[in-house]
Amino acid sequence: MTVNRTSKVRTCAIALAAGALVLTACSEGGGSGSDRSTEPTMEAHGITLGSAADSTGPAKEVPGAKKGGTVRVLQRDAYEYLDPGQIYVTDELIMQTVYNRTLTNYQVDDKTGKTKLVGDLATDIGRSSDGGRTWTYTLKDGLKFEDGTPITSRDVRHSIERLYAKYQTNGPLYLQQWLSGEGQTFRKALPDGPYGGDHLPASVLDTPDDKTIVFHFDQPRAEVPFAVAMPNIGAVPPGKDKKEGYNKAPVASGPYKVADFKPGKGITFVRNEHWDPKTDPIRHQYVDRFEVSFGHQWMDSTRRLLADQGADKRAMTWNNAVDPAQISTVLKDKEAMARSLTRTQPYVDVVSINTSRVKNKKVREALAWAFPNGQYLQQYGGPKAGEIAGSLVGPTLKGHNRDFDPFQKRKYPGGNIKKAKELLKEAGKEGYRIVYAYGNDKPAQDASVVVVRALEAAGFTVEKKELDRGTYYTQIGKVNNTYDLYRSSWSADWPSGSTVVPPVYSGKNVHDSSPNYSHLNSPTINKEIERIERIEDLDKAAPEWVKLAERVLTEEIPQVPVFYNRLFTLWGSGIGGVKFHEPYGAVDPTAVFVR
Amino acid sequence: MLRFLIRRSLGAVVILVLISAITFFLFFALPADPARLACGKNCDPASLALINENLGLDKPIPVQYGEFMVGIVAGRDFPVGHCDAPCFGYSFVNQEPVWPTIVDRFPTTLSLALGAAVVFLAVGVGLGMIAAWRRGTWIDKLFSSLSLLGQSLQVYFVGVLCLAWFVSGLSIMEQPAYHPITENPARWFSGMLLPWLVLSLIFMANYSRMTRSQLVEQLHEDHVRTARAKGLSGRTVFFRYAWRGAIAPIVTIFGMDLGSLLGGAMITEYTFTLHGVGRLAVDSVRLTDLPMLMGVMLISSAAIVVFTIVVDALYAVIDPRVRLA
Repeated sequence: MTVNRTSKVRTCAIALAAGALVLTACSEGGGSGSDRSTEPTMEAHGITLGSAADSTGPAKEVPGAKKGGTVRVLQRDAYEYLDPGQIYVTDELIMQTVYNRTLTNYQVDDKTGKTKLVGDLATDIGRSSDGGRTWTYTLKDGLKFEDGTPITSRDVRHSIERLYAKYQTNGPLYLQQWLSGEGQTFRKALPDGPYGGDHLPASVLDTPDDKTIVFHFDQPRAEVPFAVAMPNIGAVPPGKDKKEGYNKAPVASGPYKVADFKPGKGITFVRNEHWDPKTDPIRHQYVDRFEVSFGHQWMDSTRRLLADQGADKRAMTWNNAVDPAQISTVLKDKEAMARSLTRTQPYVDVVSINTSRVKNKKVREALAWAFPNGQYLQQYGGPKAGEIAGSLVGPTLKGHNRDFDPFQKRKYPGGNIKKAKELLKEAGKEGYRIVYAYGNDKPAQDASVVVVRALEAAGFTVEKKELDRGTYYTQIGKVNNTYDLYRSSWSADWPSGSTVVPPVYSGKNVHDSSPNYSHLNSPTINKEIERIERIEDLDKAAPEWVKLAERVLTEEIPQVPVFYNRLFTLWGSGIGGVKFHEPYGAVDPTAVFVR
Repeated sequence: MLRFLIRRSLGAVVILVLISAITFFLFFALPADPARLACGKNCDPASLALINENLGLDKPIPVQYGEFMVGIVAGRDFPVGHCDAPCFGYSFVNQEPVWPTIVDRFPTTLSLALGAAVVFLAVGVGLGMIAAWRRGTWIDKLFSSLSLLGQSLQVYFVGVLCLAWFVSGLSIMEQPAYHPITENPARWFSGMLLPWLVLSLIFMANYSRMTRSQLVEQLHEDHVRTARAKGLSGRTVFFRYAWRGAIAPIVTIFGMDLGSLLGGAMITEYTFTLHGVGRLAVDSVRLTDLPMLMGVMLISSAAIVVFTIVVDALYAVIDPRVRLA
């Protein structure tokens, strides 16, 4: 998963944890000692599974919250998809929480910031039977669409069956593939979706009455409660579904509805009068309107939120970070810092080593030792933008070991040049030629200077290849690319390494446009992936995934972990109820109010 | 005049067709893959093939180009629905029709271009005339120095400073934004004021220098000397003889500048977060959105071509020596 939004790959990551599916994460925050001591708010809380009682609305009132007012939301990137079936990037994931409800969802505690998975449209997070092969969901009473029509199991079924249509290409595929087959073969089960009147057989997806939805899988699927929290497993009224046209006018089930959407320019959400707070344990409906405008570069949103004047006092951003060039100014401003947050995001930035070209493991090891993580991170904003990484899985995943740092990146933020030199000498590859590819955006250009300096000091000969930012991921995503080293980013879709390790490190995924950018195809790793995938107990599987990720790094070195991402952001002084949505790594809008 | 306009219009159509062909075929020479943008996180070759089919990118490039050009004249049918002529297709990115999107963005660009043009023409040409009138004096030197300074400034620099000082700092100017003039003329004016001033600052310097140099040159021409010798007043000589001679090249440059601005003032639009045609062009390149890119390119090119023809036609009015042969 790449951080660059245009590559469509930033999604949620969560931490799986103990007990029934616990989660924790233990980052004290900060990539350096000093940073750690000054950033207590960065702790990742992890996610727990909520009960049926937790799934009952209304959400707890936020102290001091008032109704009314308009909130301006300044966003950099335009939303391309409003159709919940097509949503998969962070900006849209957080946006859809205001109008789209799913079978389960994430409830963020207003005070502690801790996150629970709870029933959203459903009364609970699901009941499994038949050894995990069957999952049953019951819809709550009083659920309505924005036009006042009741939400029934037929609408939930339609939201799933439409994902089989050929125009649905961008959203998550988990549930469809589990129900009907891997890859794109699932589409054969319902060619062109439900639009011709066909439906999935009841032996796969059953809706015995208006309230009940039953999923039948051919093997145990322990992670269904998380899969049905993804935005595409909600409710879509068949009569209002105009296929591609639904993208502009989705029918709301949440507290807000789309009033005006101008692609590329902005979107306005207004109250949905038919949303009943008693059915919703997650969301509030404090503000009258959210007016979201696009095109605000971080420099612009930071300037406006820092100035905090006029209508901008009631402005915020859902995931624009503070502009790296203005971080020091913001840090000096106590008043501004009081209306800011800095939290660890689920994304891990890595530098992939193309194992199709760099076959010598000692050379890869030398690269890993030499890579200047600290100086590299500095170009992206320093400790406020991330924490130096030692592992391929981030602090938000259960089992993450803060002390795991096999290449001693915290000790040698500029890279251990001496060690790298020795390794290169041992390999008899002094002067080894490395082609380093990077995008033509400013941080990547700046970072290329420190990377080249470190690698050349270690004895490599480095050739820089600057690639167009817009086509960067297309170019590095080609299996026959001619580069040796390039940056990418990835996070889990939910608190399980099953959404990290297999896609990024399985030999099955060595193909064009795959997230396996290093083209790793190790029989031992592949075998281990298959073994862990068969573990039915998520609690046991979670630490196994983390251990395997550590093995991948120490035994194969296909990537160098560089930094765990952080979000440092501001909001206007006239706004309250701001909290961090850990699974999506963005600001949660569901409790926001105007003071 | 009519023959001239018909001949130039036919030439313009040929130029636009050539531009469209070059843009279309160059796009496919890029290492871009529009399907990748709609392929989600766990993309694979089968998904890419499906998306290419959805977007019509699985057909041979000449066929795609032919369908695109026919659509402009006759409209086309897409899975999303029928697209009436002039149909530039649907955006690869958000499945929105291209033509209404451009129509939606154009008022912002038009407001920006015309407002800035009024400022830079009035002030730039005015300063140039004063400098020429008072050539050699301290006023001339001051204005020439200011022009040099203005020419060396850039929108992305001055714009950001102005935003920091006048909007965020002193709070004496409104946050730049486009509000339709038909809805609220006062907000339209206040929202566009800063972009106009900053954009015009750069052009103003050019027009000031150009006007001054043209006028100074004209003031040394034989016909001006003759007019003076005939005893005409300095004001009459300046405005009726020198100014009339100097205006032709200014109009030429102005026509081209205005055409370019109507094609989108990209940096200004980005600096002030305005959603005009220029920003749309940059975004469509960044997102490898071929239909949108084609639409914006053709509209921008058409603006330049049309204004060039208009300027050429105006020449005959301004300068009687020119004949539209």
